[in-house]
Amino acid sequence: MSDPSAILMPKLGLTMTEGVLASWLVKPGEQVREGQTIFVVETEKISTEVPANAAGVIVELLVGEGETVPVGATVARWTSAGAGLPPTTGRGAVPAATDTAQIPHSQSGAHAPSPAAGERVLATPLARRIARTHGVDLRTLTGTGPRGRIKAADVEATIVASAAKGPESLAQGDAGAAQSGRVGPGRSRPLSGFQKTMARRLTEAKQTIPHFYVLATADITDLLELRRRLNEDSAAPKVSVTHFILIAVGRALRDDPGFAAVWVDDGVLELGTTDVGLAVDTPRGLLAPVVRDVGSRSLNGLATEAESVIERARSGALLPDDFHGGAITVSNVGMHGAAFLVPIINPGQSAILGVGAASRVFRPDKQGAPRLREELGLVLSCDHRVTNGVSAARFLNRIVAALQNPLGLLRGSS
Amino acid sequence: MTEIRYLRAINMALADAMAEDDTVVVFGEDVSEAGGSFGASRGLRDRFGPDRIFDTPISEAAIAGAAVGVAMSGLRPVIEIMFMDFITLTMDALVNQAAKARFMFGGQGSVPMVLRTPHGAGLGAGPQHSQCLEAWLAHVPGLKVVCPSDPASAYGLLRAAIRDPDPVIMVENKALYGMKAEVADELPVLPIGKAAILRRGKEVTLVSYGASVHICSAAAAQLEADGISAEVIDLRSLQPWDEATVLESLSSTHRLVVVHEAVEAFGPGAEIAARMADVGFDELDGPIVRVGAPFMPVPFSKALEGRYLPDAAKVVAAVRRTLA
Repeated sequence: MSDPSAILMPKLGLTMTEGVLASWLVKPGEQVREGQTIFVVETEKISTEVPANAAGVIVELLVGEGETVPVGATVARWTSAGAGLPPTTGRGAVPAATDTAQIPHSQSGAHAPSPAAGERVLATPLARRIARTHGVDLRTLTGTGPRGRIKAADVEATIVASAAKGPESLAQGDAGAAQSGRVGPGRSRPLSGFQKTMARRLTEAKQTIPHFYVLATADITDLLELRRRLNEDSAAPKVSVTHFILIAVGRALRDDPGFAAVWVDDGVLELGTTDVGLAVDTPRGLLAPVVRDVGSRSLNGLATEAESVIERARSGALLPDDFHGGAITVSNVGMHGAAFLVPIINPGQSAILGVGAASRVFRPDKQGAPRLREELGLVLSCDHRVTNGVSAARFLNRIVAALQNPLGLLRGSS
Repeated sequence: MTEIRYLRAINMALADAMAEDDTVVVFGEDVSEAGGSFGASRGLRDRFGPDRIFDTPISEAAIAGAAVGVAMSGLRPVIEIMFMDFITLTMDALVNQAAKARFMFGGQGSVPMVLRTPHGAGLGAGPQHSQCLEAWLAHVPGLKVVCPSDPASAYGLLRAAIRDPDPVIMVENKALYGMKAEVADELPVLPIGKAAILRRGKEVTLVSYGASVHICSAAAAQLEADGISAEVIDLRSLQPWDEATVLESLSSTHRLVVVHEAVEAFGPGAEIAARMADVGFDELDGPIVRVGAPFMPVPFSKALEGRYLPDAAKVVAAVRRTLA
């Protein structure tokens, strides 16, 4: 059981395995009251303030600011009537496996996780090691080896399954930079926990999801003109091209609900929502929070909601729930000038729409005379286990059609 | 490339060592005029003369004792003990003299001798002419033990053993003497203590030495047909043994099977398994399984001997057990 004098790194999400102790808000010797924030944890997803679960006195801080420690590691000691683990602020926090995760730091050395009911967990050393580093509680697993022994493959299957349930940090073309090939001399760039997790998850996504791609261009000349005129009204929320694209995707999901599906445990799960993820470039890295019910929002309502999500992403105020759900994410790099973006699917989802910059091109009109138009490059990456080329092409066409007839997006959502 | 037999590789190594270094001498039972009981020293008497290679009485204790003395006086003796079973008679010279001299003289002396000896069953030679007793020798600090699996390693390890400043036992499985293999025209001297990875695999590591290496390769081929990818390591040296290579392999396959013809109980596999269970503990995803001979003398009867010896089927069964 937990040492009552230990303050532990909390587990803030199902797949969280380590956290960066971003900052301490207390000093040794300081008296804290219940609910007072003790430290801030930065995970692969968000920054979270961790409060004291009872009044007490901080004895010593064991982890420096900026250090990465595994879930369940002791970060400080205190004297308190409260139990060891401070409560977490994140909704959906999973207080699992803290005993297991603590093992590497305990003086008593490695041992089997505490038995549930006097029964020893049978697991191979490798399975135990993997479980420890990923914060998996072996007691929750069923082993497939002799006598129910848990093998490495059993733990890995659980990790993959839980990763599939909650999409988190994001897939994006430039994340390939995290790839580390040890070739030639050079200076190694230290990675944050966030970056390491992203590298691992994107590698897994690109290697396990059978990606295929459908490409289209959308004529957004009318859309840009409409946007200009809408934004002349200074009282209304400003609308961006991204907002139009989000709402086009949301409406496409509403009209083609079968597309809002993801791959889980050898099957397809239809989500029945029109939630859409949005890639946001933040100082900490790329995040993909989910905007809810996009298909039933008005353009103004969507613009307000999307800006609120983006603002929370940039200020590090997102909660674990902000990352759950949604089958598709929109990633718009148009403002940075690329014509097309071919993105990697965000783990746990089944599609991602890469949006490039608008290009000014001459197109023949009905009489064959050149007309200056603005065209947007769109690439839809899809999971072939969940959908196929025909469905993906049809879905992308819905988006293109909506963007080319932007007045339709101003209509109510019913 | 040329094709040579295992025995010929030993003969070439002896000849090349004697030609390279005048202090190399060879003696043992029937090694000189007869060219060796198995023919390992054929032709050497004609080439190097009876002062460099000579026959001894049937007294293994005398042969080994003389070798220690000769080695301490500046020569490099290579002796042959016709069957490893009779290593029993050489033990005082090996264990109490050869192995201890460097330590007891504070590094100011050494015993650069080589003892060649065949082990192994399969020829119906019975309980006293078939034993694999290498674990006894590998247990003694001060002795080195090598056990080549093919012509190239027989040549390379024997050359290294003769050059080595300390006593080296080279154990040769007599079932391999007739084995032919393609070898390079210039055979290299192989370092003692370095294993060879004969086959790359992902799911299980098979560690063995000597003739058992071929059993492992056959098992790996069978397993491959069933979609199981096995890595095969030929230790080549038992003392010192290449712990790093085995650990590295275990770290990628996470399962280990150790195979040898010696009796399983207290055999070389026990040491390998124990070390890997220690330094490789967190890498293990299944029990370390040993495949060795049962705890009994080698039977005379060919039918019983066939059941007694490790074979590919036993290795496959062991692999399935650790993969379960």
